[in-house]
Amino acid sequence: MTTLWDTTGSEVVKALSAERRAAGALAFGLALTLVAVVDEKHVSEAEGAATLAASAHPCRLLIVVRRQIESPHPRLDAEVSIGGRLGPGEAVVMRMSGRLALHAESVVLPLLAPDAPVVTWWHDEPPARIAYDPLGVFADRRVTDVTTAAEPLSALFQRAADFAPGDTDLSWTRLTPWRTLLAAAFDTVTDTPESAVITSGQANPSAQLFAGWLKNKLGIPVTVEEVGTRPDVTKVTVSFGGAELAIARTDSRTATISRSGYPDRVLPLPGRGVGELLAEELRRLDDDEVFGEALGTWSGLANLGARSPHREHIWRDPMDKSVTVTSTAPPSGEAHAAQDGTTKAETVKAETVKAEATKTGAARTGAASSAGSTPTVGRSGSTARPERPKAGGA
Amino acid sequence: MAPTVRSNPLRDPRDRRLPRLPDASALVVFGATGDLARKKLIPAVYDLFNRGLLPPGFVLLGFARRDWSDGDFAEFARESAEKGARTPFREEVWDRLAGSVRFLQGSFDDDAAFDRLASTLEDLERSHGIGGNAAFYLSVPPSAFPVVLKQMQRTSLSSAADSGGWRRVVIEKPFGHDLTSARDLNALVDDVFTPSGVYRIDHYLGKETVQNLFALRFANNLYEPIWNSQFVDSVQITMAEDVGIGTRAGFYDETGAARDVLQNHLLQLLALTAMEEPVSFGPETIRTEKLKVLRAVSLPADLARFAVRGQYEQGWLAGERVPGYLDEKDIPPDSRTETFAAVRLGIETRRWAGVPFYLRTGKRLPRRVTEIAIVFKKAPHLPFDQTDTAELGNNQLVIRVQPDEGVTLKFGSKVPGSAMEVRDVAMDFLFGEAFTEALPEAYERLILDVLLGDATLFPNNAEVEESWRIIDPLEEYWASTTPHRYRAGSWGPAAADEMLAADGRRWRRP
Repeated sequence: MTTLWDTTGSEVVKALSAERRAAGALAFGLALTLVAVVDEKHVSEAEGAATLAASAHPCRLLIVVRRQIESPHPRLDAEVSIGGRLGPGEAVVMRMSGRLALHAESVVLPLLAPDAPVVTWWHDEPPARIAYDPLGVFADRRVTDVTTAAEPLSALFQRAADFAPGDTDLSWTRLTPWRTLLAAAFDTVTDTPESAVITSGQANPSAQLFAGWLKNKLGIPVTVEEVGTRPDVTKVTVSFGGAELAIARTDSRTATISRSGYPDRVLPLPGRGVGELLAEELRRLDDDEVFGEALGTWSGLANLGARSPHREHIWRDPMDKSVTVTSTAPPSGEAHAAQDGTTKAETVKAETVKAEATKTGAARTGAASSAGSTPTVGRSGSTARPERPKAGGA
Repeated sequence: MAPTVRSNPLRDPRDRRLPRLPDASALVVFGATGDLARKKLIPAVYDLFNRGLLPPGFVLLGFARRDWSDGDFAEFARESAEKGARTPFREEVWDRLAGSVRFLQGSFDDDAAFDRLASTLEDLERSHGIGGNAAFYLSVPPSAFPVVLKQMQRTSLSSAADSGGWRRVVIEKPFGHDLTSARDLNALVDDVFTPSGVYRIDHYLGKETVQNLFALRFANNLYEPIWNSQFVDSVQITMAEDVGIGTRAGFYDETGAARDVLQNHLLQLLALTAMEEPVSFGPETIRTEKLKVLRAVSLPADLARFAVRGQYEQGWLAGERVPGYLDEKDIPPDSRTETFAAVRLGIETRRWAGVPFYLRTGKRLPRRVTEIAIVFKKAPHLPFDQTDTAELGNNQLVIRVQPDEGVTLKFGSKVPGSAMEVRDVAMDFLFGEAFTEALPEAYERLILDVLLGDATLFPNNAEVEESWRIIDPLEEYWASTTPHRYRAGSWGPAAADEMLAADGRRWRRP
């Protein structure tokens, strides 16, 4: 392991190749580069998750920590290791402070494994628009986690508004075991489903995506019931006229499948850590069309999959106070407001960028009023979209 | 693909996150208290369950002679899973699976026991909704096959039509001991079940690297143009074991290395290496191509030189003294069974004419390794001085099946310095090693494929019979000879080295 203090990007590149030489005749099957973007306070969590994912997929792991952007002195500290504490592959942890943090790509670009796909993962909240972060612009796959946002459902809608093929969100990945069980149960179903209910805690993005997926695949009304204090999805029930098929979580590892006319079955439904979720993401490096459709159905934004997978970097300086960008908590706490905020930021800053958010936002309102059952955003008493059916007990 | 998959609105071929789950079904294991069940089958079932790859309504039904209750068997299975499972063992996961574990006591000639088995499956239909689907795993000595199969026929256990679901049978090697016995066995199982319901396990084919051979050959444009006699000098397929015969003395002494390994594993690897591109990646198309290659395999005219067998003597291996084959427990002192076999085969097709395929297998060799080495011809002309390339060998592409799963490319490179000196270097692609944890066990994959009804990785009866057609003349010739001796811990008898030397080649040290 090599640790470099107050160094430069070229020194990091040199240190990495020195480590490679020191490791001997080692030629890893470098299938991809994983860029992990982390906040200082979550570094060890993110490292743990990335290490787990990297041990399942041969990759070069680049962990980028941006901090103290206001610091007057740009500075880079780096740790380079191969087969060390960060898993079997090559890993570089970089801490960037001062203005350098806004130009992280200048350090990261020369470190990408040649001609191998790049996956960028934001451990914490991603930028409101991926295009604001150059580390997301050159990535072939972008992985976010909206549950890290203060308003996960607004954040999920923002992901839909900003969507480009190749984006996925861990709230979708968390659903895979649920979707697996439900799809397996459907293998023997011959009846026509009529409606479905998903039960989850308050403002759970996975539940919303689950609803979007079911609605898209089955063409039936799906409601999300928000009850209890558990944040996750706890139950899904599909009705077929008189009969019913339900999968309910019994504890952190198992679920019970009950179906009219059949005995109950208990099956594994493991809760997975971020590392395992990330490993699932690294399994596929092409875009997830099914996710795009589920997200599109939920958000009411049409044709997400037809958008260009390429983004152009939009320069944005967080130190520039004249531009206000709402990315974390929208002022009114409404997804709608977040939309407006983003739109404003764009018109100020980027002439080259199409005002996608404006267009899609309009499309969304239209879709929302025409579709019989619209996404439940879990916030009852909304004045912005009164046509929405009320969630939970509202 | 099963029709259910097409009609299920939640299944989408683009949705690759969702694994294929088999239909609700029962896995019936005959010989459920044996070694194979304990070491491989039960741990594989646990791993599949733990990974969430078994369907709702899966039942593991053990059948054996021991007088056990469901509880005794569940306890035995729990211990096996705890010891043998690849994924972390968790009590609560096991508890879920344990609810689906059943045991039936009976011997194979006991009509009543099979009647009970039939009625148990009917009960499971009601209690677990298995839909008449059952796979029968015959983890029993081949001599018991006919009895078990006849019993299943008598009780209609093997009949898919009567059960309303599917019925499959899984058998392990040896598939007979020569062409005639293999034909008899095939006729029997294919008659009791349908040919498409018979799954012959060759666990080598369940290995990731072997499946990767398909990807390497047919997904790339780089190798196919040179994958022929114009560029390939020879092919060496090695399966070496460092262990002796273990506790299998009785079986092994009757069988020998050629029937135990050459007939199945090595010929399957040869078929995968040499086959033409299948028209699509499906069981029938792949079997068609494998069968074509096996049909084209020819034996050398001079068997004395090009079909060598050996038997290990005592020696030192990995720092320990090991006894010779004849001193092993329960081996007759005058046994002429081989523990090493090496043979040169030809493939009479346009692609491979004139390219020798050297196959070897042995026990008590220095290390456990299985690999396929494609040795390329030397460059037709070298513009360097003779001395510059003195250390340059043939280019090689080596597919390492186990351990260190991966691919090695050996080629010439300039030695740094002022002189032009070219020497062999190896470029390694590691498929496993640091990543082995993620590689599923062969049995896991194969059991799942049986339940899914995917026969891609299982040889069919025609392949088995064709393999015996190749092996039978060798056995016939060897019957009158005594195997060469080799020291335990060496790479086999000197005759095997002479066999390659006669062709102006030498074995690659794996």
